[in-house]
Amino acid sequence: MGLGSYLLRRLLTFLPSVIGALLITYLIAYVIPTDPVRAWVGEKLMDPSTLDKLKKEYKFDAPWYEQFAFLVEKLLSGTLIDPVRGTPVVQQVAQRFPITVELAIFGMLFTVAIGIPLGIVAAAKKDSVIDFFVRIFALFGSSIPAFVLYYFLILAFYVYVRASLLAGVPFYSLSCAARLDSIRDTVPVLGYVVWAVGQVPIFGAPMCGEFSVVSDTVVRMWLPGLALGLLSGGFIARIVRNSLLDALTSESILFAKARGLTNQRIWRHALKNAFAPIVTILGLDFAGLLTGAIIAETVFNIPGMGLYMYQGITRLNFPIIIAGTFLFSIIYIVMNLIVDLIYALIDPRVRY
Amino acid sequence: MNPVYRFGSWLIDKYAGLREKISPGWLEKNRSKLVETKLSVYVFTASRIGLTGLALVVITLFLAIFGPFIAWEPYDVYPILNKPELAGKLPHPPCFGDCEGLPMFGTDQYGRDVLSLVVRGFRIALVMSIIIVVTSSLIGIVIGLVSGYFGGLVDEILMRFTDMMLAFPGLILAIAFSLTLRLSLRDFLMANPTATSIVASLFALNPKDAPNLANLLSVFLALILVWWPPYARVVRGSVLSVKEQGFIEAAKALGLSTWKILTRHIFPNIMSPLLVMVTFDFATATLSSAALSFLGLGPQPPVPDLGLIISQAGQYFPERSWWIVIEAGTALLLISLGWNLVGDALRDVFDPKTRRSIELKAKIEVRK
Repeated sequence: MGLGSYLLRRLLTFLPSVIGALLITYLIAYVIPTDPVRAWVGEKLMDPSTLDKLKKEYKFDAPWYEQFAFLVEKLLSGTLIDPVRGTPVVQQVAQRFPITVELAIFGMLFTVAIGIPLGIVAAAKKDSVIDFFVRIFALFGSSIPAFVLYYFLILAFYVYVRASLLAGVPFYSLSCAARLDSIRDTVPVLGYVVWAVGQVPIFGAPMCGEFSVVSDTVVRMWLPGLALGLLSGGFIARIVRNSLLDALTSESILFAKARGLTNQRIWRHALKNAFAPIVTILGLDFAGLLTGAIIAETVFNIPGMGLYMYQGITRLNFPIIIAGTFLFSIIYIVMNLIVDLIYALIDPRVRY
Repeated sequence: MNPVYRFGSWLIDKYAGLREKISPGWLEKNRSKLVETKLSVYVFTASRIGLTGLALVVITLFLAIFGPFIAWEPYDVYPILNKPELAGKLPHPPCFGDCEGLPMFGTDQYGRDVLSLVVRGFRIALVMSIIIVVTSSLIGIVIGLVSGYFGGLVDEILMRFTDMMLAFPGLILAIAFSLTLRLSLRDFLMANPTATSIVASLFALNPKDAPNLANLLSVFLALILVWWPPYARVVRGSVLSVKEQGFIEAAKALGLSTWKILTRHIFPNIMSPLLVMVTFDFATATLSSAALSFLGLGPQPPVPDLGLIISQAGQYFPERSWWIVIEAGTALLLISLGWNLVGDALRDVFDPKTRRSIELKAKIEVRK
């Protein structure tokens, strides 16, 4: 099967998958045997007429499928209002998702920076002390409770070495935001891309020359990023090591050796072959980070998507649940697609 | 030869002797299988990682079984209520020497001995992880076997459903499930004193505390519900490759029932990757249920749940609670590290590449 029909198939299953995910989460929230409207308003401020009004507005008097259709339709038109804060959920997600993207980027940077070099060294010096160390490091990374590691990193780098900030998230000025908006409205397609990338403060700020935002973001985000990197870096290193060793013992490499290629060229071939599985794991890891690292966000006090979704679910905030699920399922599907495409780029043997 | 291997081999011999007694001729029929098992045990015990892991697992299992009886303090009595002089001093750090009757390893904000709480905590952590993983792997195995063996429409439906479950962040789905189940579980436990006392003795908690038991059970069921899809995928994949092989054809030609083919011929051949996965998952499940408790979804005080203890201590971190985080955190680390080490060594045992070299060395010793 060619790439074209593969993409077509992916596009055809895209919408059903998103709707399926929305329906499942909606139904889970729907069957919770409490009154959501009471959970929104709080027990103290209960005024019967307000309750009735809210119930009518969010279609709690209609059958579930009507309410579901109402929520999805409102979400897609961007007019779904969060009943607790009173602002559109699309706007809230637009504020929080860029922060999650920043955290995910920092986490990914540290994961790659720790995992790939360690993995390559471990493969090159198989069964050595370094190899053993990488193994132990990976085991500790997957054994330590995340929150305990976070607490002690905060203790080390925030309390003792004052090298990090834990409050607030740096954002560029309003005039910068207005400038990005005007780019979107004037330049046809490219402007939209620039605007979308610019929504993430660390990318948007340098576009307006506000470089202090960048350094502030680095000071704020490097510690959570390091924490995420320490947790999964060892695991990635093990995967890099194992797939490199597989590649180095494969027949194509044996043939390359027989042809008398230099060591350097042999390694280049092996690395190229080994990277397909690594890209998959990294891609899924990144998708996982984009859907919010709830524990990291809680401990490091980062107002990202994970915490948002957590609050939404515990307060039975249907608009938030629907909006978050919508975003998450799209991220997951798109990330899988990107991983598949990168696969094809790296490894020409892959056919769809 | 190392004593752990000798013990393992002795156990295998005893088991073989027992089977031989029940059905004579068993030993002769299964001789090669026994040697193979002994080889696996040898390869496992030859690795330092495996032995360390085994030691940790044995210690944590011991504490999980006997911890609640060893613990020297009741968990649901707050000393601060009986001793007004403690006010303002809590949580009290570890002290060596002049402790004024306070515990050596520090107290929590209610004046309870942290070490005693942690010793109790092993029970909840272990029971949670083991039952979650065993139950969900059984669900996954059944779905994977059915889906892989029968194929067609059944496969399509089951796998699309599995994919949908996989497409969503597990922790968030588990939170939603746990909230859904919570209230109905509470009502159920209130109405059924027998069920309550069984659950309470399983977790070594006070049976009067039904709301907390319901919370624990809800986290537990929620994690089972999100845990099975990877198993279904892995089992289905292995079944697809095994079912095309000659011996399955032969079994079909001999007229064996589908049930027998699935349980006797397919399942044993897909077991080793599953065993590794289950061992690793004991660690992951321990950490995940601790994470849910940490977020406040699990039991509430006074339950000695390790995740809960850490999240409570987090409010005073670091000056007034570092010892609590260290003690409870170390307990969690030891549990999951033990399983992870065992899993890592098991993977080597079942991996033909790493195994071959050790096997050659082992063969002579094992045959003796």
